[in-house]
Amino acid sequence: MSTKTQPVSAWQPRAGAGFYVSAVILLVVLALGLYAYSRQLAEGEIVTGMRSIGTMGGATWGLYISFVVYFIGISFAGITIAALIRLLNLKTLAPLARAAELLTVISLILGALSIVIDLGQPLRGLKNLWLYARPASPFFYTFSLVIAGYLFASLVYLYLAGRADAAALATRGRGPVWLYRLWAAGYEGTAEERERHSRTLWWLALAIIPLLVLAHSTLGVVFGLQVGRPGWFSALQAPAFVILAGVSGIGMLVVIAAILRSVLRLQDRISLDQFKWLSNFLGFLLIAYLYLWGAEISTTAWVSRAEENELLRALISGEYAALFWVTVALLVIPFVILLLQFLTKRYSIPWIVTAGVMVNIAGMTKRYLLVVPSQTYGTLLPYAAGSYSPSWVEYLIILGLFALGILLYMLFVKVFPIVPIHETE
Amino acid sequence: MPKYGMTIDLERCMGCRACVEACKVENNTGQNMYWMYVFRIERGKYPDSFWFFMPRPCMHCDNAPCVKVCPVGARHKREDGLVLTDYERCIGCRYCEVACPYSVNYFNWKKPASNQYYTWKEENIYGSGKVALVTAGAVPPYRNPDHDKLYGISKKRLVSGGGHSKGVMEKCTFCVHRLEKGLLPACVANCPVKVFTFGDLSDPKSEVSRVAADRSAFRLLENAGTEPRVFYLHASEPDPLARLGLTEIRRTIR
Repeated sequence: MSTKTQPVSAWQPRAGAGFYVSAVILLVVLALGLYAYSRQLAEGEIVTGMRSIGTMGGATWGLYISFVVYFIGISFAGITIAALIRLLNLKTLAPLARAAELLTVISLILGALSIVIDLGQPLRGLKNLWLYARPASPFFYTFSLVIAGYLFASLVYLYLAGRADAAALATRGRGPVWLYRLWAAGYEGTAEERERHSRTLWWLALAIIPLLVLAHSTLGVVFGLQVGRPGWFSALQAPAFVILAGVSGIGMLVVIAAILRSVLRLQDRISLDQFKWLSNFLGFLLIAYLYLWGAEISTTAWVSRAEENELLRALISGEYAALFWVTVALLVIPFVILLLQFLTKRYSIPWIVTAGVMVNIAGMTKRYLLVVPSQTYGTLLPYAAGSYSPSWVEYLIILGLFALGILLYMLFVKVFPIVPIHETE
Repeated sequence: MPKYGMTIDLERCMGCRACVEACKVENNTGQNMYWMYVFRIERGKYPDSFWFFMPRPCMHCDNAPCVKVCPVGARHKREDGLVLTDYERCIGCRYCEVACPYSVNYFNWKKPASNQYYTWKEENIYGSGKVALVTAGAVPPYRNPDHDKLYGISKKRLVSGGGHSKGVMEKCTFCVHRLEKGLLPACVANCPVKVFTFGDLSDPKSEVSRVAADRSAFRLLENAGTEPRVFYLHASEPDPLARLGLTEIRRTIR
């Protein structure tokens, strides 16, 4: 049992002017989001751009559900990285472990919040979803597996993996010592304790892998089982959701790692090695996703069922064409960037981050293209085609959620070392 | 226990929308909510074309996609074949709506009271007098008191009528409040040319069973496996792409 230890005193919670300025800006955005939500609570969801499918000519699921899928997709990164470190012994990635786990926890919280925001009766939802839970509904698994199981397991993982650092910080006696004491919970760092932690985390990482695959699949199943919605009804939905979750999750981790690296001046801890690895992994996931998407579109185009064809036409050359082709470009260009880096063996952090940003925008637009057109152009009875454009309320609420997520992340980074001090092997 | 079902004779329907009107008055549904809706479907190209009309209630499917996806069991299937919504349990996730291939669900986007056709507080709508003054504040707005009662064998669930609260889903109930009083659904009772028959499909001698046994009978989107309890007669299933013309017309009107 060996530990690579960095002097505890080396870690300083930095909070300069930049921290407070950005915190104030984020709080303002969050307040705007809360105001928008208060309008929605008071007036009903008439303030959103959503309307009923069919005679009302709208989409009943819009931006909120698109972002439920996006946020929960982001959570892919944390547990995958943790599992790679533990199970495949990929020590290169160890400095990013906590940054990734925190990303998982926060994005799952944002995902859960977006579901509640989408509900017409949120308070009833919080009660009835537990009281009258029906396992026959795919939504049941979104709640039990994703929110309860996956979030809880990730929190436990984050907690256990952080105990050694918390114990070290508690002895130092600076900063919020009560928090470090609470977190450490009597951890002393004896050889036996370290061994037990290491073993527990190994098993937890192993156990979370199937949970991860199932959690992202179950969100795909929410859409994939709907026989009445062309474009959704497909067995590919579940695997495609898992892979696209990986694409946007790893992409987001790359962006966060680069920000942490430059803002906290962690160039010595987070180096090009981690980015190389993430870049190759992201490239692999990207081509896997493009393959699945291609398989889906070519099947639809070949079989040529009237309603599927009309939807495809709306996507490729109709109302959604601009967004569709931007999405294609935002997935293909990053893949080309990452592939070129892989082939030339010359990696550049700015280019990898560019790819990360692009796949994340694609992660949002692709989810929108999945959720909305199947409702506006996917009715099986001859209703006129519908239309949907999000209202200011929806945009502000989504921006508010992002602000909340970034705030939580910043607060954590302020009180706790985001790059592990002890890298337990 | 009867198993309710409906037949709709498309050869008789002349598109008068008396069923739509009857449904709206009976169930007090808000603006833009058509529990009963009538499609006008055109076949062929002018001048070699013809129209027909197709009423569309809820199909009350035996294998209802909306019931299967409801995460809290608010949308439920009754033993007598009715598919109903428990307005006190619905959380407003709208999963039933995306699951329904027939798009018969209507969400209460607004407070139902502010989604009526006329805001009764408005003054001077008929020249000088205030409506509320004329009617002594009683009617309008009219609300059918039957909808506040509980129905079913256990009389525990609020399932009848529309406009109960914002943020819940509603749809055609086959007029459960009328059925339990022994009356026919409002659309059936108000059709001037007897397009509809309604009754017990499990009884082979009932009128609805005999009509549904007609060899021209078909059900909408049968290959979706939803097992609807509504049978159509004397026409063929409309092509979903009949909407392409409608979409074009709507674009030119805008």
